[in-house]
Amino acid sequence: MRAALVIAAIGVMTAGGAQAEAFKCPKVGGSFTFGQEANVNSLDQMTSNTISTRNIAMNMFEALTTRDENNNPILDLADRMAEAPDHLSYTFTLRPGVKFHNGKPLTSADVVASWDRYSKVGLDRQIFDAVAGWEAPDAMTFVVKMKTAQPTFIEKLSSFSIPVVIVPAEAKDDPPQQLRSIGTGPWQLAQSVPGSFVTLKRYDGYTPNTHFEQRTGFGGYKQACFDQVTFRIVTEGGARVAGLETGELNAVEDVPTKSVDRLKGNANVKLLPLNNWWIQIGVGNATQPPTDDVRVRQAIQAVLDMDEIMDAATDGNYKLNYGFAYPNQPDYVTTGKDTYNQKNADKAKKLLAEAGYKGQPVVLLTNKDYSSMYNAALVVQEQLKAIGINAELKVVDWPTSVQMSQKSDSGWNIFFSGWGTQPALGALATMAFLAPPGAQYRPKDDKDDPDVLAAWRDMSNLPTKDERKAAFGRMQQVILERAYVFPFGSLTKVQASRANVAGFVPFRIPRMSNVYFTN
Amino acid sequence: MGRLLLLRLAGAVPVLLLVSVVSFGLMRLIPGDPSAAIAGLSATPRMVAQIREQLGLDQPLLTQALHWYGGLLQGDLGRSILLGQSVFWSTMQRLPVTMALSAYALAITLVVGIGAGVLAALRQNTWVDQAAMMVAMLGISVPNFFLGLLFIIWFAVGLGWLPTGGYIAFTDSPWGWFQTSTMPAVSLALLNIGLLARITRSTMLEVLRQDYVRTARAKGLPRHLVVGKHALANAMIPITTVVGIIVSLLVSGSVVTETLFSIPGIGQLLTSAVLGRDYPMVQGGLLLVTALLVLVNLGVDMLYAVLDPRIRYER
Repeated sequence: MRAALVIAAIGVMTAGGAQAEAFKCPKVGGSFTFGQEANVNSLDQMTSNTISTRNIAMNMFEALTTRDENNNPILDLADRMAEAPDHLSYTFTLRPGVKFHNGKPLTSADVVASWDRYSKVGLDRQIFDAVAGWEAPDAMTFVVKMKTAQPTFIEKLSSFSIPVVIVPAEAKDDPPQQLRSIGTGPWQLAQSVPGSFVTLKRYDGYTPNTHFEQRTGFGGYKQACFDQVTFRIVTEGGARVAGLETGELNAVEDVPTKSVDRLKGNANVKLLPLNNWWIQIGVGNATQPPTDDVRVRQAIQAVLDMDEIMDAATDGNYKLNYGFAYPNQPDYVTTGKDTYNQKNADKAKKLLAEAGYKGQPVVLLTNKDYSSMYNAALVVQEQLKAIGINAELKVVDWPTSVQMSQKSDSGWNIFFSGWGTQPALGALATMAFLAPPGAQYRPKDDKDDPDVLAAWRDMSNLPTKDERKAAFGRMQQVILERAYVFPFGSLTKVQASRANVAGFVPFRIPRMSNVYFTN
Repeated sequence: MGRLLLLRLAGAVPVLLLVSVVSFGLMRLIPGDPSAAIAGLSATPRMVAQIREQLGLDQPLLTQALHWYGGLLQGDLGRSILLGQSVFWSTMQRLPVTMALSAYALAITLVVGIGAGVLAALRQNTWVDQAAMMVAMLGISVPNFFLGLLFIIWFAVGLGWLPTGGYIAFTDSPWGWFQTSTMPAVSLALLNIGLLARITRSTMLEVLRQDYVRTARAKGLPRHLVVGKHALANAMIPITTVVGIIVSLLVSGSVVTETLFSIPGIGQLLTSAVLGRDYPMVQGGLLLVTALLVLVNLGVDMLYAVLDPRIRYER
């Protein structure tokens, strides 16, 4: 039913056609430079899960489906989609006139080859678990056959986390991380110097999606207004701000909070805050003593003062938010609210006494690569010490902390992290973290929590959206009440552009289409 | 000389072997592997296992080592996991950038460092001496990262004279290269200027007290000849030794400077490789940089003979 709703939504968008005049660049030309905070290694969007890759690659590549401005699934390279009445097949008809950056017309053979490659090397290829196969009955038709009906298949397929981008058939056997950079998007690769910059140039052969009038999310009616866009890697926040002030950079991501007040007084700069960038979070280890005892985890949960934690983590740029969805999202539920921000030391001490806590170390696993995670851990450590918990910091670098967090027996009790892309994609993507085989699924002694599993199955398989939302509510409640994780709040990320840049709307990934200089 | 050159080059082989063993071992000792960097936070255990298998990281350590050394014997440094390019090619793309930046910084260091040191020695215990040594001490003490940020604020944001970052190759535009390299080179040079100025000053003070300098003065030689030909020439041996060390410091110091100014050099490449656990890149890149530094040290040794005719590398 969920899929049916999606199809209905898509059907309205595709069948209706453009109602108003389509976007036209008010000014064409110019060279736009974007200050990017993280280095980009590979532009292989099928095998990279980093934001830095997405920042650039999502402007070059397109997929059959994507997400709109409100994160709803929409068609992109597909003109139409039909779901079989038994929900066991999806038939996509490709948008006519689409050409790759090498000039070759897009056909269903390219889609088959792209899906074949993704099924071999794509990082998120588990989305094909319920898929029996795919075929191309003619040059413009692509059919996906399912093993079993999966109401959330299109939602998963349209994810922009590691999307199934469509590349020319000849790229089918390109090794992981070495995908040739030929897509169908409005921007094509001009030059890439890893560690320094990536330059994209306007693809004049681009065919926009005329079912829309404007860009929406990663899809819609896209137009490249600049001659070229350069993503310059500027890892140091101060240097990014300096580049923006001098005008060398036309827009930047992640303005340091300390610089925000100064930039507010600069008439040449527009600040573009992006609320709910990620959920600042601590993941509890239910296998490692003493947090294997739910009462110890609940004691930790009871004492936490989220304002203090988030203020230190973000320099004041935050919103308190319990749970795993944001208030502006359709999935938002209020279950488990009582567990959040209790600041109740007496309750915490009582729970510790009941658990027979005798001062065993509680290891807080954090890193200094992300100052928000490190600062959050520092404050949590002090709050835990205040109720007699022997909290110890273990500071390593980010890749090490991720790897350690994936093993319950690697000597940690709370792993400090931030969830960004998944909460933006919706509850299904977020809760996948906490259900098998999710990255943060750490059931006590590797024995599944049946309540979590039951709620997760319902979230994935119940036919209606409302039923799945209710299941999400149940899952959130169980996760919070059993203190498997500790969501601290949501972090605001500030992007910024020069005042003469129009159309640059803050989004999870900077979109360079429909952006132009006003003078 | 030729024999010595061959001997020293042969002596470099165990050094390179040691570096390769240490880098291979250290990278495996650090927790975390490339699968974490590639798959990211949301990686499921299955995704991590798949990536490890693709990269051959599920193989025993000995097998991985044999694979690496087997390739090395055939002149193949492997392929960068994260960049998807050959390690040799990636390094060779970046090396000229770091070398050009280091050469620029070295030129500044030599001119200012030796100049300030000589001046301080000639004006010992005057305000000139104290000012030169105070600036030298500042250069040594202030982190070049902080200095670089100050330069950006003063010269890029404040005065608008230079760009805040980025890099233009000399071959593309000499003026562009000068503009993009000046702030990084100066911030990189300041630490070494301090070091060189202090060494030059102390060596010059010692030489200026020698009999032959007194004799040169007594026979009425002009001051510039006394200082340049008799004093400075004889002070060059210890200075040259320090310059050799400075070249190594410039290459290692480029890590911070390249990051701050967004310069695609070898320092930034290796830092990213270490953080991303790009084993082949770290191992191969370090090997090439070590080979380069071995050659620099060899060059310094050869220079001794040129500077001091008494030194002859003969049996």
